[in-house]
Amino acid sequence: MSLISELRQQVTRRYFFAAGSHVLGTAALGALAKDGLAASAHQFVGRTHVAPKARHVIYLHMVGGPPQMDMYDYKPVMQQWYDKDLPESVRMGQRLTTMTSGQARFPIAPSKYRFERCGQSGMWVCELLPWMKKMVDDVAFVRSMQTDAINHEPAISFIQTGNQITGRPCLGAWASYGLGSLNEDLPTFVVMVAKPSNTEQVQAISARLWSSGYLPGEHAGVSFRTAGDPILYINDPPGTPREVRRTTLDGLRALNELTYRKLGDPQTHTRIQQYELAFRMQASVPELADLSSEPASTYALYGDDAGSPGTFANTALLARRLVERGVRFVQIYHNNWDTHSNVAGRLPDQCRDVDQACYGLIQDLKQRGLLDSTLVIWGGEFGRTVYSQGGLSPQNYGRDHHPRCFTMWMAGGGTKAGTIYGETDEFSYNVVKDPVPIRDFHATVLHLLGFDHERFTFKHQGLDQRLTGVLPTRIVSELLA
Amino acid sequence: MVPAAASEAQRLEYNRDVRPILFDACVSCHGPDSASRKADLRLDQRAAAMEMAAIVPGDPDSSEMIRRILSTDEAETMPPPATKKVLTDRQKQTLIRWIEEGAEYQPHWSLIAPRLVEPPAVKDETWVRNVIDRFILARLEAAGLEPADEADRGVLARRVCLDLTGLPPTPEQLDAFLSDDTAGAYERYVDALLASPQWGEHRGRYWLDAARYADTHGIHFDNYREMWTYRDWVIKAFNRNMPFDQFTIENLAGDLLPGATLDQRIASGFNRCNITTNEGGAIDEEYAVLYTRDRTETTAQVWMGLTAGCGVCHDHKFDSFSQREFYALSAFFNNTTQKAMDGNVKDTPPVISVPQEGDLARRLQLDALIEEAEQAVEERRRAARGDFDRWVAAASASELDAWMPSSGLQLHAPLNDGGSVIAYTVAGERREAPLASTVQWRPGKASPQAAYLNQGSVLDVADAGDFGPEQPYSVAAWVKLPANDSSGSIVARMDEAHGFRGWDLWVEGRRVGGHLIHKWPENAIKVVTQNQLPADQWIHVALVYDGTKKAAGLKVYVNGTPQPTNVSADSLTADTRTSVPLKIGQRHASSLLSGVSVEGVRLFARALDDREAATLGTAALGQAVLALPAEQRSPADLDVLFAWWFINLDELSRPLIAERDSLLRERNDIDARATIAHVMQERPEPPKAFVLHRGEYNKRGEEVTPDTPAMLPPFPPELPRNRLGLAQWLVRPEHPLTARVAVNRFWQEVFGQGLVRTAGDFGVSGELPSHPELLDWLAIEFRESGWDVKRLFKLMVTSAAYRQAAVVEAEKLAKDPENRLLSRGPRFRMDAEMVRDYALAASGLLSRKIGGPSVKPYQPPGVWEAVAMIGSNTRDYRQDAGESLYRRSMYTFWKRSAPPASMEVFNAPSREHCVMVRERTNTPLQALVTLNDPQFVEAARHLAQRAIRESGAEFDDRLRFVAKRLLARELSDEEQAIVRDSYDKLRRHYDIAAEDAVRLVDVGESEADATLSAAELAAWTMVVNELMNLDEVLNK
Repeated sequence: MSLISELRQQVTRRYFFAAGSHVLGTAALGALAKDGLAASAHQFVGRTHVAPKARHVIYLHMVGGPPQMDMYDYKPVMQQWYDKDLPESVRMGQRLTTMTSGQARFPIAPSKYRFERCGQSGMWVCELLPWMKKMVDDVAFVRSMQTDAINHEPAISFIQTGNQITGRPCLGAWASYGLGSLNEDLPTFVVMVAKPSNTEQVQAISARLWSSGYLPGEHAGVSFRTAGDPILYINDPPGTPREVRRTTLDGLRALNELTYRKLGDPQTHTRIQQYELAFRMQASVPELADLSSEPASTYALYGDDAGSPGTFANTALLARRLVERGVRFVQIYHNNWDTHSNVAGRLPDQCRDVDQACYGLIQDLKQRGLLDSTLVIWGGEFGRTVYSQGGLSPQNYGRDHHPRCFTMWMAGGGTKAGTIYGETDEFSYNVVKDPVPIRDFHATVLHLLGFDHERFTFKHQGLDQRLTGVLPTRIVSELLA
Repeated sequence: MVPAAASEAQRLEYNRDVRPILFDACVSCHGPDSASRKADLRLDQRAAAMEMAAIVPGDPDSSEMIRRILSTDEAETMPPPATKKVLTDRQKQTLIRWIEEGAEYQPHWSLIAPRLVEPPAVKDETWVRNVIDRFILARLEAAGLEPADEADRGVLARRVCLDLTGLPPTPEQLDAFLSDDTAGAYERYVDALLASPQWGEHRGRYWLDAARYADTHGIHFDNYREMWTYRDWVIKAFNRNMPFDQFTIENLAGDLLPGATLDQRIASGFNRCNITTNEGGAIDEEYAVLYTRDRTETTAQVWMGLTAGCGVCHDHKFDSFSQREFYALSAFFNNTTQKAMDGNVKDTPPVISVPQEGDLARRLQLDALIEEAEQAVEERRRAARGDFDRWVAAASASELDAWMPSSGLQLHAPLNDGGSVIAYTVAGERREAPLASTVQWRPGKASPQAAYLNQGSVLDVADAGDFGPEQPYSVAAWVKLPANDSSGSIVARMDEAHGFRGWDLWVEGRRVGGHLIHKWPENAIKVVTQNQLPADQWIHVALVYDGTKKAAGLKVYVNGTPQPTNVSADSLTADTRTSVPLKIGQRHASSLLSGVSVEGVRLFARALDDREAATLGTAALGQAVLALPAEQRSPADLDVLFAWWFINLDELSRPLIAERDSLLRERNDIDARATIAHVMQERPEPPKAFVLHRGEYNKRGEEVTPDTPAMLPPFPPELPRNRLGLAQWLVRPEHPLTARVAVNRFWQEVFGQGLVRTAGDFGVSGELPSHPELLDWLAIEFRESGWDVKRLFKLMVTSAAYRQAAVVEAEKLAKDPENRLLSRGPRFRMDAEMVRDYALAASGLLSRKIGGPSVKPYQPPGVWEAVAMIGSNTRDYRQDAGESLYRRSMYTFWKRSAPPASMEVFNAPSREHCVMVRERTNTPLQALVTLNDPQFVEAARHLAQRAIRESGAEFDDRLRFVAKRLLARELSDEEQAIVRDSYDKLRRHYDIAAEDAVRLVDVGESEADATLSAAELAAWTMVVNELMNLDEVLNK
């Protein structure tokens, strides 16, 4: 064992003993004490820098980039600007995607949706989000998010990994690396891809988004699928009931013990443990995915869609079940927010997919006492332009990618409910107050998980790599409870 | 684990004793990176450190560095407390003693050319089989360890077969070796393995990680890329034992070799394996910069073990590699003719056609024949101008009427009115419409004026284009597109509000095509051209649909030529009629053209034939020209008309053109049968690049020309400053890195870890070599042998070090926990591909076919679909059948955004970037693959079936049959008893649960032998499944 893994192991032990046996099953603790080498298969930090507020994260990523001015960033003045050109003083020559850079003019498309001021916080919410209207006081809104990237691939990579170029670990992998597992029978970091009900312009996503990058491979997200096996190969072959599998694993274990006796390779012992873990996972995963035990009230809360595999509501409900069972980080992707055209034909469907489900998830977590320790994040990779791409009518318009401002929200996990943070100009084009660059968002999430983003590092290519990169970064303390 | 430190008596050595301390504690602030350097002090260079009196050689008391590291004053002490870096007392003593001894520096070890040292003397001479063993044994003896005994012959036979071919030995191979007890039996066994074609596959498989080989583009659509000819080339190169220097040159610059052969050009595909995009809206320069960066980083890492990536944004923190040097190195790769956008096509230029074996000779002839035929046509063309002038002087516009199809013409909108009214005809009936405010008149093609559309339709017609899916139709127009990637409908009758029902003539990203839609996207056809149209030029486009409800029935013509197209939807079955009107310039409510000029729109309620479609545009232009008085006819228009006349009306040119076209068709047919290879191609101008501030593509600094980093040997003046010169520079004898990095990577393949464990980082942040002298000796031996790869492997696998048993004793676990000293034989979990190939080979299912296109074996449904875009041609995973299910895993189709599912679990990389060291984890998800993946279950059943049929009736015979194939040995009595116990229990289950047995043996495409008892076969299947999951099977 290298010095580094030995150190890690010591840290791991400290963590166990400090945090008590509820952190990891006592069986695993026993195994660790008995056979330190086998436990070195796990490489995680386990010790936080500040008191953690969130023990779990559910990150709802809206792939494509939701139009902030049609949902949360209310700009009533724009009604007077219908079909007028975006003033050059607002755009200031900023780069555009090549989809609209050749457009002869940039006519403003005011939102066609009605907004209402809601809750104690007085947050403006559009008519497509009736459920959100009921819970604005549970949520902290950031209307001043900013990214550097202007197209999907680099932008998604940036908000997930802190870098526009692929290959770095994502937020979920960092959380797994930092905090480790709460339930050895399930993956630490789970990814689900929800199917939108409207599939007009579904964007690409890639398994690279949940890779572990330069972190140890065990911190990569594990796909939890809503069709077929929930986890790949979790089910035994047809015609092999559990006792058959048990028989073969007993034989396998006995034979592997002989190999260990002959060769003394510690990895053999680790492998024996991994097979036992796999066997237990085979029991816990189907139980987790089986929604038959959910009462009718669950569906009243999340909406009936929650019973249909693959819907966003279904993944939201599964996210709660995952978190309940100790999964650290749940990443959900919901696609088709890339409204270059036909906002009117798509946005209502998109909002319907997520609105009640988000409400249900947050209320459900609250009822179960999990919201305080679970951070829920909602948002896309960038915003959209106030000017129309393609045709403009009062009834319909399209919007191009817009990196300079967009809206995200968070709830629970130590965030300050009822916050409205950041302001944009009247065109929802530039941030005029309290900008939140992505690195600040990342630093804030890490802070809630108990990590100082400057000290939460991993040595790679001789450098202490970190999620937030090298530019000056600030924790957005205004969002903290 | 680093080389032993100096004893008290020995002089300190900078690289071994001092440098690690300085670089860990000091150099990130006092080192090469000028941006983060503090107090303008460098401690990594002697002169700089002396100049600042930080180091006074021989006088630690006067050395400021020593004063500061010993200081207890928080404001002064170094390293500063805030860095959390602490020097131990021993480290402080080392620094003091080093300064006392004169503070001698050394360049970083890997930058000093390898030195040939006398192999060390050892106590136990009898253990030594070749020179490698002297270096290994000397270290073991120094550490007080004894090597392990030689492994059993069967174990060794299995190990070396896996290392040289990636497969377990067949029973025949095994028996032949085990029964050969004459001298040299092992060497002969090794030679046979080196000569087998599986050798090239196995070595090539490792190389594909370095080359980041995959079968898709990687970004966004992640469409198919036809790349496999490069993979075939790699396999062939290893099988021919191509010297590694030649291999290097052909990979990096095969295209630039004088008289490059087809194979050499294919080899240059190494630099075409990088990920690319075609995302709508992406900025070309941004991606062109990324591709160059990737090629630079990959080359630096693969051949030199340099992590050049740091230089993208800043001077390298630790290595003497500045940002400027990075961009100078990148200039070698910054001169390609490749466009930034891959076009979502399988053959993004530059590509070459690779004819089938039998076509090769004729294909080579054809180029010359076509050139001759072309010349004959050209001769006539030159001579024909006079005939044309006479014809044009006499001809009138009506003479071309025969060439203007009128049958079935439903709508004709010339869009050349130039006033406030637009005239058009519907079924021959003339109508007028007022000019919309969004439309302007600008210069046209066939007319002085044409409609310039900007976000609004020019014409709405309710009673034209009301076509169902079985109605053939054609739509044509002149268009002039702006230089952006916007999309929109030129002509459409389409209702977005009802699933986009209808049809259109469509343009996206300057590619033209059309939709026929019942409901988008699930019931529709969509076709667009592969090639982008030029911007700001008049182009005649025609879309012809034959009413077959198939994408193949939708043809696109550009300037009269049929275009290769991409099909992104082909699922139309239901009605396409809609009540919304036909519009020119948009769909019913959206997809408005912006900044596009349109003229001469014609809609036919029938499919035009090839000739009509080809001549429609020019004939219309010709009519316009002939209608003008002679003096107003522009020379450019006359040239276009001449070109058309020459093809269509000139009697003398016809046979010449027919002859040429027939040859062209023949060549096209051969090329259509051929595969393609992605190759490199230089632009004619000399290469250059720009230093980019923080690596951002739009923040250009100084312009730089190709150069290599100053820390490495100078670039000889006689070499060309291009990729070829760079490759030749890499393999020069004085280069300190190339040979070392190569032998280290090969060593890693065999021993599981390199002598330098960070095989991709030979810089100062990489690890030091465990056996520096051995590394140097191997590097020189490799180079001097003529870069002979097979010879190097033979040397490694015939060493005593390699032949040791993999027994881990307690003492060795304590003193050599990670086997860095090779106190025992190599044993580690096999790579993903080997795990699968092993199961297939042992079972007898494996196909040994070499090369060819990638295959799609078993994969659970939904893996691709979950991430892919609708419209991506690698969205639906269509599993292959038959032999393709059982090919070696290196041929499995590699989609970058969703790598082969079962292999990814075993740490197979995504192939997005070069990987020099794969991770090797040990997880429960891996257990699930080898227990449950149908591929493994079927293999278990197949081996079980063979055991029942081909060995005796007794349990013991059958088990022996299985063990020989899975373990290359016999089981002990104790092991046999355990398996027997499993079998009895399993058999009891399947005897009772007959249905379970039937279901289990039904797994996989190959048929189970129906004559066997299902219960027996099922029980044996699960026994083999148990054994296939043994730690011993999964480990080499």
